[in-house]
Amino acid sequence: MPTCQYSCGSRDHRLSRRGFLGSTAVGAAAALGTGGFASSVAGRELGKMQKRVLVIFLSGGVSQLETWDPKPGTDTGGPFATIPTTVPGTRVCELLPLTARQMHRIALVRGVNTAEDEHGRGATIMLTGRRPEAGIEYPHIGAVTAKLLGSDAQTLPGNIQVLARGEGGFGKQDAAFLGPKYGPVSLGDGKPPADLLRPAGLTDPADRQREEFRKKLNDRFAKSRRSAATDAYTESFEQAERVFRRSDVFDVTKEDTRVADRYGRHDFGRHLLLARRLLEAGVTYVKVSHSNYDTHHENFDFHIEQLGEFDRPYAALLEDLAERGMLESTLVVVMSEFGRTPKINHLYGRDHWSRAWAVALAGAGVKGGAVVGKTNANGTAVTDREVNGGHLFHTYLRAVGLDPTKNFYPNDRPVPIADPKAAAIDEILV
Amino acid sequence: MPTPPRALAALAAIFATAAVSSAAKPLHARIDRLIAAGHAGYETQVAPVSTDAEFLRRVYLDFAGTIPTADETRAFLVDTTPDKRTRLVDRLLAGPAYARRMAQVFDVVLMERRGDGKVPRAAWEEFLRTAFAENRPYDGLVREILSADGVDPKARPAAKFYLDRDFEPNLVTRDIARVFLGRNIQCAQCHDHPLVESYKQADYYGLLAFLNRSFLFPNANAPNAVLAEKADGEVNFVSVFDKAKKQGTTLPHMPGGKAISEAAPPKGKEYKVAPAANVRPVPAYSRREQLARAVTAADNPAFARTAANRLWALMLGRGIVNPVDLDHPGNPPSHPELLDLLATEFAAHKFDVKWLLREIAQSKTYQRSSEGPAGDTDPPPERYLVAHLKPLTAEQLAYAASQATGQTDADRVALGKTATEAGIDARVAARIGPFRAVFAGQPGAPDTGAITTLDQSLFLKFGPSVRGMIAPRPGSLTDRLGKLTDPNAITDELFLSVLTRPATADERKDVTELLKAAPDRPTALNELVWALLASAEFRFNH
Repeated sequence: MPTCQYSCGSRDHRLSRRGFLGSTAVGAAAALGTGGFASSVAGRELGKMQKRVLVIFLSGGVSQLETWDPKPGTDTGGPFATIPTTVPGTRVCELLPLTARQMHRIALVRGVNTAEDEHGRGATIMLTGRRPEAGIEYPHIGAVTAKLLGSDAQTLPGNIQVLARGEGGFGKQDAAFLGPKYGPVSLGDGKPPADLLRPAGLTDPADRQREEFRKKLNDRFAKSRRSAATDAYTESFEQAERVFRRSDVFDVTKEDTRVADRYGRHDFGRHLLLARRLLEAGVTYVKVSHSNYDTHHENFDFHIEQLGEFDRPYAALLEDLAERGMLESTLVVVMSEFGRTPKINHLYGRDHWSRAWAVALAGAGVKGGAVVGKTNANGTAVTDREVNGGHLFHTYLRAVGLDPTKNFYPNDRPVPIADPKAAAIDEILV
Repeated sequence: MPTPPRALAALAAIFATAAVSSAAKPLHARIDRLIAAGHAGYETQVAPVSTDAEFLRRVYLDFAGTIPTADETRAFLVDTTPDKRTRLVDRLLAGPAYARRMAQVFDVVLMERRGDGKVPRAAWEEFLRTAFAENRPYDGLVREILSADGVDPKARPAAKFYLDRDFEPNLVTRDIARVFLGRNIQCAQCHDHPLVESYKQADYYGLLAFLNRSFLFPNANAPNAVLAEKADGEVNFVSVFDKAKKQGTTLPHMPGGKAISEAAPPKGKEYKVAPAANVRPVPAYSRREQLARAVTAADNPAFARTAANRLWALMLGRGIVNPVDLDHPGNPPSHPELLDLLATEFAAHKFDVKWLLREIAQSKTYQRSSEGPAGDTDPPPERYLVAHLKPLTAEQLAYAASQATGQTDADRVALGKTATEAGIDARVAARIGPFRAVFAGQPGAPDTGAITTLDQSLFLKFGPSVRGMIAPRPGSLTDRLGKLTDPNAITDELFLSVLTRPATADERKDVTELLKAAPDRPTALNELVWALLASAEFRFNH
């Protein structure tokens, strides 16, 4: 069904996603048409190959020493032991027993140095792949992938963030110059978007009839006045309608109880299960936050609790995606704004630490079991293959088949999609 | 403080060559001449003059922040006097809604949806409303804002610009430059602007030097904090590009302007109130005190130019310099002579905001239809050939929806004999909150009127705010429509109330058929009102 009843021909239209993946540059203001790619013929099969991204953001800064890069028996190592994984030679902290069994699906980047110990700026570096710069805001990975991987024919929004209970939910500005269209729709505590459900007293026939009348009015108005703005307005109602028709996607109680049990019956388990439902329904990018790892005191107790919540649903998710044939098309990244200090402070805490920490990738385009980068014996410095947020950003895009060296063109000015001073970490890409 | 006549004369002299042929003509005529000048084929490409209905809705939204009632629309449409548009403009500029609308506009311009931690919203809105109701000269208003320190409780609202930016010096510097000088010089904080040659690091620090001695007292977190100032402290800067790390310093100055010289006070006399524990120091010589005068002085032409450009953009939907905070030689104005004219005339008329808005509203350029000549749906926006579609702001949307659905009329009925305009306004104002939450811009960013997010369409589609407005109450639109039987009368009342125009023959036919087939008339009427409210025609000021 066509979205608009008049012909689409303005210069803002008709730039195809394939055009982007190919050699042509594309305007950032362009709404990417589908070129019939995602929505049509054998859509389901092609849809499976449609690449998606899931970012699991461990808010506050997870300890690399209690997760991906343990240093047992050193002055910084803390009390925990390490355990073997499904990858010979790779050991992780004993707080991740179920994750250890998925390690053949996971690539570890152990030499991350983002050189920024402040929460907000650290998160910006990790989500935009750029250091904050005065005068320009760069779009977050969610907006970038929603724009470049998504299509206008998608039923659901391209960029959704599942927020932990009580976590602030703003974020339309995360899309920066790509525009709020690609900014995240927030699901507070995994609840459906506000006003998604049709109010009592409005029947389906009455709703359809009023929609028909509204469209007629719009067509008349737009005949001689159409603009990118009127088009976007019209389209936003189409999108709302499509999302409304799929409101079941937001309802995790529709899942088999056995599946729900595998993810765990707590907030984060529920949120990751919701993420899988969303990805499966065609959402391009989902971000799930897990709070809170900012363990300035009692780091070890806190990590027992937090990682106890993280380990099961994360392992279940990888298994679940693999079983459904979605893992090879879904990039799953576990990141934080930074890691935690090797030095244990007098409150048994670890403080902010960005000089040597680790990130885990799995799924689309990722070489499972790979480990890249090294830190020294007690984890205080990167000794091999140091990377920063820019390298990681390049890697995410390459993993889902995009070319991070191309440009966006806000206000007709070229802005490289990823930081040109960095490049992808080829060692972990298939 | 009045603009020094000598500087005005200088400005006028610069402009004299362009203006000499038409100096006697009113500004609105000169606007039209300069818009058409140098544009080959202007007459054939330009849109016709707006219809009366289109003009009525547009000027209402611009000057009253809402739409007219169906009765006002009827009266305007049957009025055959030739000067009815000008009289409408005058009536709206004199009406109480004008000050409210301008307060809403300048709240966003000045505060960009920041929080209200130190100056409560109500006091701030009242301050702005009073200023615009009195038509206080714009330069005077800006001086009031930039010289406020928050100490005198009565004058505290004016200090909101500083206080609710927590007086972060770089933020305040950036926003003074953006809001009052039309330039975003943030990049020049660390080095000369890489892309804009005229934005210099020394200019950035010249502005910062007015502020660098000031701070919040007793501390930045105190809700009752006021500004205080030390008697010493210089700005020092090094370009991050400079390998030699040569340190620069500067006295306070406007970008491109002369430094304000200062004599060192005699030793021991640096303070009127000397710093001590829990004492707000007051220096003998205040740098910050120089700022308000320096920004608005006639030898700082960026001020009048930016003000004129912002008011023009408010009316026309696009700045002559566009975006309004990127004025530099690499981003030239679309109509340089016109911008000079507006700035000069605005200053010459003592920054009389109503006068400038009235002149713009009377121009043919403002009164163009948003329907272009057939065949051209994509005219170059900077030529002003066709009226721009301006998305309604969160506030306009709330007020216009209240008026369209007859909630405002229902409020009047409900208040009965006690109804006053202020009382009705308070009820409408109480409904803005949910609209702001969904339609307002992001804190600290300009309101772009972005209108494409899912939460916005769901809000309009299913949200309780809009539904609540449509539900019949005595005096409301659905209530009035329910009492009519003739489908044509229903259609007319509906279209006049919501879209400020008579229905077309097609629309009458559509409504008639729809009502005939409707199993339940009240429901059908409700949803008809919704369809008009959710239409693009309602969403934009067109």
